[in-house]
Amino acid sequence: MRDEQSRSIRVSHAFLLLFCACALVAAAIGAVSGNSFYLRLATEALILAGLALSVDLLLGYTGALSLGQALYFGVGAYVSALVLLQTASFWLAMSAAGAASLLSAFIGGLIANRVRAVYFTLITLGLSQVIGKVVYNTRELGASDGIIGIPVIDIGIGGWSVSAADPTGFFLVVLVFIVILYGALAYLLETPFGRVLIALRSNEKRVPFLGYSVWRARMIAYVLAGVVAGLSGALYPMLRGFVSPELMSFSMSSNAVVAVLLGGAGTLVGALYGSVLLVVIKSIIGSWTEHHLIVIGALFIWSILFFPRGLMGMIIPYFLKRPSEEQSTVQVPSNVSLSGEAK
Amino acid sequence: MELSDYIQFVLMPQVINGLALGIAVTLVALGLTIIFGLLDVINMSHGEFYAIGAFGAISLGALGLNFWVMLALVPLLMAPMGVLAERVLIKRVFNSKDRHVATLLVTLGLSLILEDVLRLVYGPNTHRLDAPISGASEFFGVLVPNYRLLLILVGVGVICAVSFVTYRTRLGAMVRAAAYDRSMTSSLGIPVDWVYAGTFAVGVSLAGLAGVLLAPLYSVFPTMGRDFILLAFSVVIVGGMGSIVGAVIAGLALTQVQALASLVISPVWTDPIVFSAMVIFLMFRPQGLFGRLGHA
Repeated sequence: MRDEQSRSIRVSHAFLLLFCACALVAAAIGAVSGNSFYLRLATEALILAGLALSVDLLLGYTGALSLGQALYFGVGAYVSALVLLQTASFWLAMSAAGAASLLSAFIGGLIANRVRAVYFTLITLGLSQVIGKVVYNTRELGASDGIIGIPVIDIGIGGWSVSAADPTGFFLVVLVFIVILYGALAYLLETPFGRVLIALRSNEKRVPFLGYSVWRARMIAYVLAGVVAGLSGALYPMLRGFVSPELMSFSMSSNAVVAVLLGGAGTLVGALYGSVLLVVIKSIIGSWTEHHLIVIGALFIWSILFFPRGLMGMIIPYFLKRPSEEQSTVQVPSNVSLSGEAK
Repeated sequence: MELSDYIQFVLMPQVINGLALGIAVTLVALGLTIIFGLLDVINMSHGEFYAIGAFGAISLGALGLNFWVMLALVPLLMAPMGVLAERVLIKRVFNSKDRHVATLLVTLGLSLILEDVLRLVYGPNTHRLDAPISGASEFFGVLVPNYRLLLILVGVGVICAVSFVTYRTRLGAMVRAAAYDRSMTSSLGIPVDWVYAGTFAVGVSLAGLAGVLLAPLYSVFPTMGRDFILLAFSVVIVGGMGSIVGAVIAGLALTQVQALASLVISPVWTDPIVFSAMVIFLMFRPQGLFGRLGHA
């Protein structure tokens, strides 16, 4: 028998297919018209979606809001940039970035998981600011300028080879990559461990009574989220050819949080839609004024006040309702109302 | 260099500069901490209110207003903004399942808007405000710029006034009671909703006051609140969220650490030190040095 969670994940998969179909159409249009600017922008939206996925794993499933998730995104980006400067190997860069973000998220998790709720949010913010400032002031890492001049690489997948300079090809590579990340997280949430994470969000105090370690579950979720963010970040220098401290900044972290909440926290696919929505709004408004933050901020507040479940959190329950159970008020496990009270 | 010369010309000026900044940070942190202590709200837009205070001083200064008038007028003008923000935004999510996160997100959205509005109105460039008084006074051979002295005096006065009102008046007792037990206070006939809105307004005004006071010392630009607010957050966390005494002690201590550390290491590294203090306190003593308002 399938429960709420499985069914909502299935609907989420359907929306992922729709998302991919739209992305493929966009890629085809981009390839035919040769408009590389919008393909590059779309690729950036997908990379942001990776960061948003990592925020959603923490916020939407374990109920912990991180305002410093860009830290691991930045770690992935910098490590990938440093590796690419030495050797132009896609797989080496990705595995180095994955390992570095795994290690840093483990250390960060040891620090951040000592506290709960709002203190967790503040400690993640503080951590990312400490490391962000250190990177900003380290001359070996390019200080405030970041690292520029990262060579364009060829990505070898099986027998094929895609150049990162090819907008359509690289867009597809990133799309596949983000879908793999999505799939891995969706699979994880269907395992018993995934249910422990959801239990954390519902009622953290009861989880130990069921025989699970809260700390262990939180730690694993945090490290996984860090790796997802790091791997997404590793794609960034391949796209833009540079990295800068801006990638670890608070605005990067808050962008991801905004994307997750607009798309719908706890729906997984909402993170993807939210990121694309955010980038689309930014570029549409940005074409006639540079003051897009007013609109984003207003939309964000409006969404929290009136649609706290976000875009997907509103759509998915509609597909979950079956005629046979119209009396049950379907509760999709998506809400911004998160973990229990503070200590 | 002789030790006495070092103290007179290097150490003491640095201590006094740190003290002036510390008083201003304490004002901002005080607003942040009473908003948290009473309303349980992490106000992410507090840094932007600080920036609005500084820009308010620039605007009113351009109208030819006296600095002393601005010092009173800007916080007064900002109080309605605080009431509005509390009534329109925070109140709506105040009773949601997780108040902390919901209010934090709403104020985060507000900070995005406010920062961009400032950029829209004043442009991205930096502005400067002339200090109302110049020159320096000498105390025991140490030169103290008059404006910094003034800032310290005004700031100490305001901090004392806020603590006096909070701990020694009927109004303060109402605020502390509302922080301790909302429904009990309400049943005693105290308009708790207005106590909340008023407290938020006072917090916002304090940030605005700090903005006016610091405008002649630092450059004024739309994102000036971002770095400053992290310093204020560090102060609030180290001092204990919701504690007035804690904010004062931590505000002075952390800025002294910053000021003195910059004598030994490059000033750019002092920010990571202060933020690390915040992280370490969150790890080992998340409640900070002192308990919260109405709970101790």
